[in-house]
Amino acid sequence: MKEIIAIIRMEKMNAVKEALSEAGLPSFTARKVLGRGRGKVEYFLRGNEEKSMEALDTMPPGPMLIPKRMLTIAVPDALVAKTVKTLIDVNSTGRAGDGKIFVLPLLDACRVRTGERGDLALDEQSALPAEA
Amino acid sequence: MIMVRAIVRPEKVSEVMAALMYAGFPAVTKMDVFGRGKQRGMRIGEVTYDELPKEMLLTVVPTKDKELVIETVLKAARTGQKGAYGDGKVFVSPVDEVYTVSSARKETD
Repeated sequence: MKEIIAIIRMEKMNAVKEALSEAGLPSFTARKVLGRGRGKVEYFLRGNEEKSMEALDTMPPGPMLIPKRMLTIAVPDALVAKTVKTLIDVNSTGRAGDGKIFVLPLLDACRVRTGERGDLALDEQSALPAEA
Repeated sequence: MIMVRAIVRPEKVSEVMAALMYAGFPAVTKMDVFGRGKQRGMRIGEVTYDELPKEMLLTVVPTKDKELVIETVLKAARTGQKGAYGDGKVFVSPVDEVYTVSSARKETD
């Protein structure tokens, strides 16, 4: 089992939910976080160009904290590549600030309702490739 | 790569984040959390507070920078000369793979 932590743009949330459901990975935990990256983001304000420059000059130097979504998805080993690909496909805009995906080892999982352990406790069984 | 999760006092967050920036680790994610520690929360008179507000900082760094990051966080997050109860904890966990979404690139150490 692996725990996939993805930090993505707020506005991509709906597209991500749709794509994950289609890929057979319906379950996840999401939360609002603030973050900064490597600091190569160019800020701009929509609308008034001149006012925008004026406003940006008043901002402190260095990367700022930007609101993001953090998704936590637990998947069986066989589905890690598929999940990562789905997330990257949906979230790529090619600009800095698209986010990061981390894959962490997960020792065990347990479904509270039934007490099932390990892979059985994960919901993504239906998305597993059929075994011969 | 390793993931460092630090739970620190809310009033120390900006100091810790500035320290990380100067140490060369600009990429950090911050979130509000509530929790208690091994002192079982805080007791003021008759009232026990066991959901103390804290901030969690999450950062993923190359394995070789582990000690430097931990040192930086500890130094910035500690209060007083010797530190105090409630200053927080730092957790370190392994990360198997790291991807940057915008370039679809797999990051390595």
